[in-house]
Amino acid sequence: MRHDRLLAYAMILPVVAAVLAFVVGPTYNVATLSLTKVVMGMERGFGTFDNFRALTADPVFWLVMKNTAIWILGGTVLCVTVGLAVGTFLALDSRLTGWLRALILLPWVIPDVVTAMAWKWMLHGQVGIIGQTLQDTGLTDRPISFLGDPQLVMWTLVVVLIWRKMPLVALILCAAIRSVPDDQLEAARMDGANAWERFRFVTIPNIAFSLTAVTVISMIWITAEFALPWIMTGGGPANASQIMATYIYQQSFEFFNWGVASAMSVINLLMLVSIVALYLYINRRSWASEGSQ
Amino acid sequence: MGSVALKDIRKSYGAVEVLHGIDLDIADGEFTVLVGPSGCGKSTLLRSIAGLETISGGDIILDDTKINTLQPKERDIAMVFQNYALYPHMTVAKNMGFSLRLSKVDKDEIDRKVRAAAEILDLTPLLDRYPRQLSGGQRQRVAMGRAIVRDPKVFLFDEPLSNLDAKLRVQMRSEIKELHQRLKTTTIYVTHDQIEAMTMADKIVVMRGGHVEQIGSPLELYENPASVFVAGFIGSPSMNFVRASAGADGIEYADGHWLGRPAAAIAPGRAVIAGFRPEDMRLADTGLPARVALVEPTGAETQLVLRTGQDSLVMTTRERVTQKPGDLVHVVVSEGKLHCFDADTERSLAPGAAPA
Ligand SMILES: Nc1ncnc2c1ncn2[C@@H]1O[C@H](COP(=O)(O)OP(=O)(O)O)[C@@H](O)[C@H]1O
Ligand SMILES: [Mg+2]
Repeated sequence: MRHDRLLAYAMILPVVAAVLAFVVGPTYNVATLSLTKVVMGMERGFGTFDNFRALTADPVFWLVMKNTAIWILGGTVLCVTVGLAVGTFLALDSRLTGWLRALILLPWVIPDVVTAMAWKWMLHGQVGIIGQTLQDTGLTDRPISFLGDPQLVMWTLVVVLIWRKMPLVALILCAAIRSVPDDQLEAARMDGANAWERFRFVTIPNIAFSLTAVTVISMIWITAEFALPWIMTGGGPANASQIMATYIYQQSFEFFNWGVASAMSVINLLMLVSIVALYLYINRRSWASEGSQ
Repeated sequence: MGSVALKDIRKSYGAVEVLHGIDLDIADGEFTVLVGPSGCGKSTLLRSIAGLETISGGDIILDDTKINTLQPKERDIAMVFQNYALYPHMTVAKNMGFSLRLSKVDKDEIDRKVRAAAEILDLTPLLDRYPRQLSGGQRQRVAMGRAIVRDPKVFLFDEPLSNLDAKLRVQMRSEIKELHQRLKTTTIYVTHDQIEAMTMADKIVVMRGGHVEQIGSPLELYENPASVFVAGFIGSPSMNFVRASAGADGIEYADGHWLGRPAAAIAPGRAVIAGFRPEDMRLADTGLPARVALVEPTGAETQLVLRTGQDSLVMTTRERVTQKPGDLVHVVVSEGKLHCFDADTERSLAPGAAPA
C-alpha cells in the first residue's frame, strides 16, 4: 500500500517539477518583480507599490486599458458572433459548405508574421489594395490610412484579428451545431417554432457549452496575441493602438522598464484568471452537468 | 374532429421511391397502428403526415382540408418521437408548455393547461425537474404531455416504446391506450412489434416495402390474413407454412397426407402454400406424421417443434405433453383453420380476400 503511494508520487514528480519550473517559477518571479523597486536594471528594495503607482499615474496606461478593452472585449464578442453566424452557415448541408469548411481554415495555417505583413500592405494608405479599391469604386475620394488614423487603427486591428481567429471558432461551433439532435429540432417544428425560434430555443442552449468554451478560449488567444499588433502598428500612431501585450514588450525590451512591465503583467494575469474563473463558474451552473441541481 | 385520409401517397428520396402509393382512411377518434418490418416506410409515412417530410405525390386530407403543403405547425398535429426529443435545458413544465409559449398564450393559461396535462399523466410532482433527472418511462410521459397540452386533432407516435424495458413497455402500452380512451383523439401509432399492434389498435395497417399489405381490425388480420406476409407477421409464434397442393377432397401435403379443407374450392392439382397457426394444431392418432424435435414447456402452454419431410412445424398446446424428442406423432389442423395462399403471388385464396 505504502509502496504504491510512493510509486504514484514518483510517477507524477516530473510533471509537478515541470509545472513548478516553467509555470509557477516565472509567474512568481514576475509577481515579486512587480513589487520591487528597480533602478537601471538593479533591484532596490522589495515590498513597494511604486511600480503600480507609476504605471497608473501615466496617462498612457489608461489609453492602453481602453485599447485593450476594445481589443479583448470587442475582439471576443465579434469573433464569437461572426464565428457563430459563419458556423451556422457552414452547418448547412451542401456541396459549397463542404468545400468552405476545408478552405476556411486557411487563415489559420498562415504564420502570424505573414498575416501581419500582408494586411499591413493591403491596408497601406497610399499603395494598399483595399484603399485603392475603395477609391476606384468611388466609395471614398481621399485615401484612407487605416493604420495611420488614431480613430480607425484599433478597429482595423480588430478586423484583422477576426479574420485570423474567427475560422476555428466557426468550425468548432459548426461541429457543435451539427451535433444538435435532429429530433429536438423536429419536435420544435411540431411545436410551432420557426427557424429563428428553433435556433434561439433549441440550437443555442444545446451548444451553450461550446459557446462558452470558445468565448473563453478566444479571449485568452486574443489576450495573448502579440505579433499581429506589434508588426502591423508597433502600438502607434502615438500609442493609439498600444495594448497590454505590446506595452509590456515595449516597456521591458525597448525601455528596460521592468518594474512597470511586470506590474502590467500582473494586471494582465489577474484579468486572465478572472476570465477562466468566470468560465468555470458558468460551467458549474450548466444544465448538462450531471447530478447538480 | 380529426379524420385523416391519405390518397395515393408517394415519397421519393432522390431517385429511390420508398412509398409507392399509400391509400388509407382513418375515422375521427380511431387508434390506427402502422406495423411492418424495419425499413418498410412507416416512419416516412408518419413524418409525411406530420409535415416533416414533403411528399412527392398524392394528397393528405385532414377533416376535408388538404394539408399537403402546410408547415407542421399549421397542421394541428402533434408527434411523440422515439427518443422522446425532450429539450434538455427546459424543465418538464417548460417542455410541455413550449408550444403554447411560442403561440403567445398567456402565462396563467399555459400554467393551467400544463398542470391539467400533468395531472392526467401523473407528472405533477416532476414538473420542476429536468429531463436528465427522469427515468425512461417518465420521459416518455413528458413527451406525451407535450403533445396533449396542444390539444391537437391528431396524435402521431413513432415507436414510442422501443427504448423501454419489456415490463415498462407493457405498462406504457396500457397507459397510452387508456389515454386514448379518455381523450378520444385520433391516433396514428407506428411500431414494428406485432404484439403492440394487436393489443392497442382499432385498426391495423400492415406495411411492406412501401406498400400497404392489408388493413383491418386485429382479429380480421389474425383470422383472415390476405397474404403469406401478413399471416406470418401477425401472431406469435408465427404461422406454419408448407408447400401443398389441392386434391379432390381438400389440401394435401407434399407426401400426399390430407391437411384439411380450404375455405373456398380450389381446382384440383393447383399448387398452394398452406398455412396453419401453432395453436390450431392438435396431436391425433392419424394425420400428418412428424417427429418431435424439441419440447418447450412455458408454463400454461407447451411448445413443440416437429419435423416432417423438409418442414419444421411449431405447435402449441395447453394439454399435458408426454412425448419426448425423437417420438413419432400425428398432427391434424383444426376444422376451418387451414389458410391457403397462391404459390406464386402468396395472396390468400379465401373468398373475399383482397386481390393483389
Ligand atoms: N432521409 C432519407 N434519405 C434516403 N432514404 C431514406 C431516408 N429516410 C428513410 N430512407 C429510406 O426509406 C425507407 C423507409 O424508411 P423508414 O420510413 O424509416 O422505415 P421504418 O420506419 O418502417 O423502419 C428505408 O429504406 C430508408 O432507407
Ligand atoms: Mg422507423
